[in-house]
Amino acid sequence: QEVRQLRGGFRKLLLRMRGLPAALPTLPLELTVLYNSLLFTMGASDSATEGEAEGIHQGLLRVLEACGACGQDLSTEELWQKVLREVTLEELQAPLHRLGALQAAWWLSASRLGSTASLFRLLSNAEDPGRSHCSEGENELLSLLKSWQVPTEQASLPLLQSTEDLKEILCTTAAFLQGLQELEAGNFPTALSLLQEAAGGFCSKRVLAQIYTCLGCCAQRMGKPQTALQHLKRALQVDFQCLPALSHVAAVYHELEETDAELQALALLYEALEEKCPAAASSSPYFLVQTELPVRTPILASLLRHRQPSEVKYLLAQRCLQDGREADAVEHYLDFLALLQEGLQQQVPLDCSSALPRIPEVFLEAASALEQAGRHQDAITMCEEVISRTTDLIPRMLRVEERLEECPSPGAGLVGGLLSQKKESLCCLAWRTAAYLHQGWAWANLGESKEAITQFSRCLGDLLRVQLYGSVVEVTENLLPELEVLQKIRLLSLIGRGAQFLELERHKEALLDFQHGLQILPGDPAAASYLVQALWKLNRKQEAAAHWQKFSQGPPGEDGQQEGQGRAFPLYLVSCLKQAMFPDRHSLARNIQDYLRTTKDPLS
Amino acid sequence: MAHVGHRVDYLAGFCCPVGGLVAGKPRVLCHENEIYLSNGSEFVYVYDQEGKVLKAVYRCPDQVWHVELLPQPRQLYILCALSGIYCVSLDQQSRLMEQTDGDGQESNCPSGVFPVDSDACIFPDSSLCMFTLLNNFVITLSQAHGKWWMKLHELPHPEQENPPYRQVSEVGFCPGPPPGDEGDAPPSRFLPVLCCASSPGTVGSGEGLWCSGGFVLEEPLFSLLFGIDAAMLESPMILCGFPDGQLCSVPLKALSSSPAVDGCHDVSNQDPPVKILHHLEEPIVFIGALRTERRAADDAEDDQLFGDAGCDCVVAVGHYGKMVAVKADQREEATVPELREYYLRGPILCAACGSGSRMYYSTHSDISAVDLDWVGDSSDPEDAESCAGVLPPVLSPASLSICSVVALSLSSRASEGESELLALSAKGRLMTCGLCSPEDADVELTPAEAGRRIKELLSGIGNTSERVSFLKKAVDQKNRALASLNQVMNVSAALLSSQEGQKPIACTVTANWSCLLLQDTVTISCLLENCSEYSLEEGWTLCVQLLASSCALEEESVDSATTFTFPIDQLLPGNKRELTLPLGSAADTKLDLPLTISCALYYSLRDILGSGSDSSEALDDLLPDDSPILSPDREGICLPLSECTIDMLQCLRFESSPPGPDASPPAAAPPAPPDPVETFLKVSREQTEPEGVKADELPPAPGEENLPPSAASIRVSSELLKNALKTSGSDVPLSCATLRWLLAENAGAEALSGGEVASVRGAAPDGGEVQLLVREVAMSDLSPAGPIQAVEILMESPSLADVCRTHHAVIRRIQTLVLEQAAQGSGPPDLRMQYLRQIQANHEMLLKEARTLRDRPPLGEEGAATAEKLLNIYRQLRNPSLVLL
Repeated sequence: QEVRQLRGGFRKLLLRMRGLPAALPTLPLELTVLYNSLLFTMGASDSATEGEAEGIHQGLLRVLEACGACGQDLSTEELWQKVLREVTLEELQAPLHRLGALQAAWWLSASRLGSTASLFRLLSNAEDPGRSHCSEGENELLSLLKSWQVPTEQASLPLLQSTEDLKEILCTTAAFLQGLQELEAGNFPTALSLLQEAAGGFCSKRVLAQIYTCLGCCAQRMGKPQTALQHLKRALQVDFQCLPALSHVAAVYHELEETDAELQALALLYEALEEKCPAAASSSPYFLVQTELPVRTPILASLLRHRQPSEVKYLLAQRCLQDGREADAVEHYLDFLALLQEGLQQQVPLDCSSALPRIPEVFLEAASALEQAGRHQDAITMCEEVISRTTDLIPRMLRVEERLEECPSPGAGLVGGLLSQKKESLCCLAWRTAAYLHQGWAWANLGESKEAITQFSRCLGDLLRVQLYGSVVEVTENLLPELEVLQKIRLLSLIGRGAQFLELERHKEALLDFQHGLQILPGDPAAASYLVQALWKLNRKQEAAAHWQKFSQGPPGEDGQQEGQGRAFPLYLVSCLKQAMFPDRHSLARNIQDYLRTTKDPLS
Repeated sequence: MAHVGHRVDYLAGFCCPVGGLVAGKPRVLCHENEIYLSNGSEFVYVYDQEGKVLKAVYRCPDQVWHVELLPQPRQLYILCALSGIYCVSLDQQSRLMEQTDGDGQESNCPSGVFPVDSDACIFPDSSLCMFTLLNNFVITLSQAHGKWWMKLHELPHPEQENPPYRQVSEVGFCPGPPPGDEGDAPPSRFLPVLCCASSPGTVGSGEGLWCSGGFVLEEPLFSLLFGIDAAMLESPMILCGFPDGQLCSVPLKALSSSPAVDGCHDVSNQDPPVKILHHLEEPIVFIGALRTERRAADDAEDDQLFGDAGCDCVVAVGHYGKMVAVKADQREEATVPELREYYLRGPILCAACGSGSRMYYSTHSDISAVDLDWVGDSSDPEDAESCAGVLPPVLSPASLSICSVVALSLSSRASEGESELLALSAKGRLMTCGLCSPEDADVELTPAEAGRRIKELLSGIGNTSERVSFLKKAVDQKNRALASLNQVMNVSAALLSSQEGQKPIACTVTANWSCLLLQDTVTISCLLENCSEYSLEEGWTLCVQLLASSCALEEESVDSATTFTFPIDQLLPGNKRELTLPLGSAADTKLDLPLTISCALYYSLRDILGSGSDSSEALDDLLPDDSPILSPDREGICLPLSECTIDMLQCLRFESSPPGPDASPPAAAPPAPPDPVETFLKVSREQTEPEGVKADELPPAPGEENLPPSAASIRVSSELLKNALKTSGSDVPLSCATLRWLLAENAGAEALSGGEVASVRGAAPDGGEVQLLVREVAMSDLSPAGPIQAVEILMESPSLADVCRTHHAVIRRIQTLVLEQAAQGSGPPDLRMQYLRQIQANHEMLLKEARTLRDRPPLGEEGAATAEKLLNIYRQLRNPSLVLL
């Protein structure tokens, strides 16, 4: 309130002074008033506005007017050049330098580093940029800033914020800003040194924590996770409210594969977010222009992105599931789903930078977790939700053609964007069939083979909706991953159904399913093993042995390969993959071996 | 289509500005028995429908743009133009009022006006354009930095004291082109429209869900429109209709504060949560939803138990009558959204949807109802299925016969079990219109019902009479416009067909001296004479354009034209009208003689459309489509009348008594005592004349008053003049006749006609003195045949400029005279060529000298001398010894 009053007062004073013709004796006073008034404006608004630039521009024009020169149609950069070259009056130097500092702050906040550098070149009388006294490798702007002689304060003209402070802030800001730019450009060593420079500078705790966070990110990208952890730790020490640092810590632990630590960090982050209180304004020395003002770049925003609690919760759940901690995963998934129901307070970010996948996938992952934790009935319910939601969204026939790529711009309007619509349909189909697949396995685990077979059959029936036109290989690359997922689902459900048939002693049907499965993905070890077993049970032992020999001559380390494949598939399919694995490979192998030996022996 | 049965009740009248209320901002809300109304001014009214009294009036700090009601706790949220959202607690106020004076009073005189002060402002943000409420959340839409920003705020719980309005999340987006660069001010006329669509899941869980204008959308459509994520999140969706016609949807649960706040990234692919559903290409005025299909009987009972059923069709209406409806097409296994555009008769002011399948919309002339229930033709269902969709192919609006309603709202008063339409007319009248469905008609009347019926009829009559007066007014206006057009055509035809001869409507221009405001000024009087057989009616304007002619003294100067317009009330055939306009007084502006004056008649076609009403609205009404016919630069008819030139001779002013041939000393003529200050100013003004002034207007030296006056002369042979002026018969001396001829157009010179005067002294408009002297001379050395009789016209004035102007004027006259005579073909007498050549050579030499001097701009001291020299040369040039024969 008081600030606003003061600002109004300064503005009025300035207006009054501008009403008089510009004269040299009053100019220092006028420029100081301008400086103070601009300080207020910059301090009061949380972003640099055009008004300040205009104010400085006006001020410079007044200076020129007083000196009898004219610079109406010059840009601000040219104006500065002209003013600093032509106005040599001693009394004017100090106010002009001060104004220059403000201009630099404004330019920095607009990320105009070049203008800032040339301004300081003028201010410190460095003749040409090449000969400026910066040693090799040192940043020019920073050295210019440091070598800039701050005009001495005059007792007669009080300032709201000393130029010395402003200079410090400018140094920090310039280093920070350039560090971020280098970080964005991928020059990590330069970025690191600049950011370190900034961290050594003069700024509030909040900004210091931000700088440390950026340092951490930088180190992480350079492949130095331990250093990164140290920086992030310092960020948290400086300001615990700097929660982005915590989420970066989790990311680093994730990289280090220290799951315990990562989960701990995430849990901590979640807790902190939950009880997030409105940040107390606690900047101890009150400056009108702070380092916060100028640094506003998208990369900083994305580095310092605040995660929503729901997002963190999901990350926790996902990591637990990936790591095989089913019980924890179930807890977290259920918590997350509860968050979804909570209302509008809980925001669920769905934009591309969010950690969240599509919502049906979350449901499927949850189902997968429940399934693995042995809560089959719950998993079935969870899948039911996905199935009912997708009912209306999948066309009866989904033609995937080669020519899809010719469709014009995706995402234009409701009807436009055929390609994206088709892709969406394919996704829905994948989710729906995956849900059936999960249900099938869940019923199977409950011992209800018939019910399980029904679900697997539904899954396979739905998969028939996709019709491929043209050769599959040529189908647009946009769709390929979805199609691959669908193929995998088909294979898994064929295996699942076949296994259930085996259970019910319907060996022939089982055999058919396994054969189909092998057609889809020749050489799949699980399908092959099941096939052998089915043949074995049908008492076609010779064929079984032949197949067995053929498969076992295949590439070694099949298990590892399957593991590797499994990672490429969505998380929600991993549990199904596990379940589809042939349960008792060794006994089968022993049987076949025995058989081979017995059949060979009589022959020989 | 069946005529919708209805009855209309007037509830109250509210003040409205001249020209009626404009649609867009007025709003009517109804909750229980109270009606909340804002009419686009800064007032918000609360009206009790049961007691038919005005309960409270709130005065807001600025124009009210939008009002929403939160029923629990009863709070009114008011968006004021460019200031923000204010929150008024109704319970508190009603208590306050009861304390002061019990109940409110009748209708127009509210007991008290409650000011809404700035403490009540909960969102001070001048960039706010629109908001809506959803339970205890406020969703605001503002415009800043070239983007739209949607923000979600949580309202505090009632038990909390001094509530902080927590912003939960925000999202910035720009659908299509950025919302205009005209500052940050939103487009004044159309505001965006917000509407909340909930998924069916939220109905059961959310107790007392409140969102005015919001609706619950049934399942297949919800997923189809907004995607599976929103459906599984059960997120309410906000539908935004923008003034540029885009219809967007935003999931409220996934308003993410996107990292690229500074707008450095491309926005279009940055925000998946914001989806553009459709582009209507005209300002969206309404978004709503309808229930188009009746459910099966058992379901229907459930619906009645649970109140509103979900809607299965979303509609958006544009201002110019375009409407889009979206519905899920479930007939085949693959469900697809069917989208259909309709064209209603616009411009549409407002619209409302009830729980049924009808949408009501209001235009200037009527409220119409359209039904989107599409019962496929049962006789051959296959055909219907194959060709048509689930939406009707065409809409047939049914009229309610209520005109110019600017705000509509549907209220369903549970007690009566029927819905009624609340409407606010452009004249500020609040009315209800009961909507009984068609099947309710033809029931036995009980006495009570009969009484009510009579009442209905009476109010129906009232409504009809208002409608009749409206229509009558429209017809009258159109008749008037036709009549005007007719007379305009007549006048134009009369003027255009008589190109050659005298025009039937003439305008003659003369220059006069008159005394205005104690100052003598030259005025121009235009005499407009109507000799045609048609009268000039109201709407015609006489335009007089003064053009300081370029042919005169300053060749390179740009023409500067001034136009005066005089509206003509009525000019009957044979009548005249005189108009005068001042040209500038003696001491005032510099008058650039000669002036070209052109007169024209102008008729504005805009006036035909009635000047009284709001012009844009009127245009809207007459031309429903945005027709480009009336572009601003050709919106009228212009008929040129005449053109003439006013020169120095017409503007000279003479003393009332004719001066003698031997003129009195110059002291007699000056217009005012020689005020030293004035003299100084005049001199300095002349000195600082622009550089474009050519040498013959070079400023006289400061001491010129004492110099001999400038002079110019022309000699014309007497023969020529006698022939031309036809004075051979009369006994007036030729010199006098010549002078008379020269000053014939000068109204002040009539005195000359009496005496035989050969010399006059007059005052120029800028105060200078000009003397004209005409004498007969004999030129002896020109012709071998003896002396030639000639008339010499001598012009003298202390001001060089005046001499020039007079000279120009005289020459112009003589030029025309010579041309006329040449046409008659009288041969010149014998001349002594040698002498002529000598004179010509002299002149050519002088001219050459002048040119060289002029080409070489003088410098410094030399300049004055050069100027002097030039002056001399020109002086000599102006006094030729030649004679015009």
